[in-house]
Amino acid sequence: MKSFLLGFKKGFKLFSENIALIVNVVLLTFVYVIGIGITSLVAKLFGKHFMAMRLDKKKKTYWEKLELKKESMDSYYRQF
Amino acid sequence: MYVLGISCYYHDSSAALLKDGVIVAAAEEERFTRKKHDSSFPLNAITYCLKSQGITIKDVAHVGFYEKPFLKFERVLSQHLEMFPKSFKTFLSSTPSWLNEKLRVLRTIRKKLKYTRGVMFIQHHMAHAASTFLPSPYEKAAILTIDGVGEWTTTAWGVGEGNNIVLHEDIRFPHSIGLLYSTITAYLGFSVNNSEYKVMGLAPYGDMNRETNPFYKKLRKVIDIKEDGSFRLDLSYFIFHYADRMPSKKMCKLLGGPIAKRDTTMTKRHQDIAAALQLVTEEVITKLLISLHKKTKLDSVVLAGGVALNSVYNGKILRSTPFKNIWVQPNASDGGTSIGVALYIYNTLLNKKRVYHLHDAYLGPSYTTAQVKRFLDKNKINYTTFASDKELVETTAKLVATNHVVGWFQKGMEWGPRALGARSILASPCNPEAKELLNEKVKHREKFRPFAPVVCEDDALTYFESDKPVPEPTDFMLMVYPVVKKWRTAIPSVTHVDGSGRLQTIRRAQNPLYYDILKAFGKHTGVPIMINTSFNIRGEPIVCSPYDAYKCMMGTGIDYLVMDKFLIKRDDNPQDKWDSEQYAKD
Repeated sequence: MKSFLLGFKKGFKLFSENIALIVNVVLLTFVYVIGIGITSLVAKLFGKHFMAMRLDKKKKTYWEKLELKKESMDSYYRQF
Repeated sequence: MYVLGISCYYHDSSAALLKDGVIVAAAEEERFTRKKHDSSFPLNAITYCLKSQGITIKDVAHVGFYEKPFLKFERVLSQHLEMFPKSFKTFLSSTPSWLNEKLRVLRTIRKKLKYTRGVMFIQHHMAHAASTFLPSPYEKAAILTIDGVGEWTTTAWGVGEGNNIVLHEDIRFPHSIGLLYSTITAYLGFSVNNSEYKVMGLAPYGDMNRETNPFYKKLRKVIDIKEDGSFRLDLSYFIFHYADRMPSKKMCKLLGGPIAKRDTTMTKRHQDIAAALQLVTEEVITKLLISLHKKTKLDSVVLAGGVALNSVYNGKILRSTPFKNIWVQPNASDGGTSIGVALYIYNTLLNKKRVYHLHDAYLGPSYTTAQVKRFLDKNKINYTTFASDKELVETTAKLVATNHVVGWFQKGMEWGPRALGARSILASPCNPEAKELLNEKVKHREKFRPFAPVVCEDDALTYFESDKPVPEPTDFMLMVYPVVKKWRTAIPSVTHVDGSGRLQTIRRAQNPLYYDILKAFGKHTGVPIMINTSFNIRGEPIVCSPYDAYKCMMGTGIDYLVMDKFLIKRDDNPQDKWDSEQYAKD
């Protein structure tokens, strides 16, 4: 009986993990196609880039201004 | 006042505890969980830090984290937006960990530590900059941070003065020297974020001449380097920005073959590719540093980020740039940011005077004589007890001089990836077979990789063509220098194929027993230099506890273990069934 219950528990865990995986894949696919995909396509239509992808031989430098220094204490409690 | 710094969820998670401006404890999680480069929440490391001071989380005034998770997530989303639909697979594989773990770090810290106050989030490269400037000996210094990637930044420069740091400019993802190095590491069949140092060790076997190395000009095609050292990668050679692999097919074509399989025997071609990568890396960093000197006009420079662990180049910096002084902390890559976070909160944000200089790396767990004895007795291990430190020093030096391999376990475990005389394996560099013996019986690692020498700081200039005076990062095994020609044949096991050695210098104040053994060894052999390699086998983290040390000795060919004031002979104890060979992996 004990081994049956243990086996049942193990099987049910495996089943729930697989269900979670399927749900994850379905939901994430939906988010990727609808959220990321449409935004990306619209952005590309307007020539918007989210990262600097290309080399620019004419540029003298690739450095970008950062000026990261001590800020107000409140800003450090934010995750962004 | 206590401040706790935490880094985790990428690789080498760690924790560091600061007390009134001084780092009193720091360790990486891998040493406790025994999973190399463990990236999980560093609960064991935090527990050690708090226990070492006899405090609880309630006594900690501030907790800080080594990056801004939402900024990093913004970058990850930007990658998917830019690379749609190519990034679909990585979106599926990486998003759950972001939603379940990385974006919930505040909740995790509160839940796991039962910490009720706010957590401070310091930007990744600021944490790197703070980790190297604030514990450095300099009042004012130029700062260069170079790693794979933080939130967006991959490379940044700035200036530290007194308590303050300003990072003026940066280069942003996907353009990264760290990721270029990792890409070629992957191409050569080694693991990323783990084996970059192996590629560095492989490079001297290749052609280190830009004119004749067949791959140097090819690799220069994948990166556009400006006169000021700023750079961008030609992304057609890479796929790391949308896939879970790194080199593209175009890169494979450029380098003349497919990605090498793990444990492939390295041929001349692989060696030349490694050499070309080292040449390109050195070219970029030299230009960056010359330009940094022009901008800051400062004599001292401090470095941080994984690329600052490139000890081969570190050893050339003072000769190839106008900087006169250099400092790098022993744990320069991501694992080291936890001390940066703690120091930045205390020194910069709370504006408290800097009182700390990181002189030695022994910030990890230590064990009292009584604790070690209890372990030995409890496990019925046969041992002898040294009557005095003098006997310990004499016996150990004699054992090493007579070509025995000795495990050395003393003091607090080292902070950072290098064993520096607290969790070390010692052997004689005078024995030409020591390298093969260590590789085959103990370390199980690739034959091309050299072993490192340790020498007393006051003897270093006799045996190595080091900068004068010997820079402090040499104490942390972060500088490679040529071995003086006339000594190369005397210490073959630590002289690399190009005549260099990745030396560690030791000052008596840092570790008196270790220093004294070197001097005693010198009296026996005429050369006060020993092999110092990390106390582990390939694929395992460096040992932390007496149990780890004993287990490692019994599963390998280490002859003796000197642990605190006890001597354990392998042959005097029943052989464990534990076979280190099965654990020997990348």
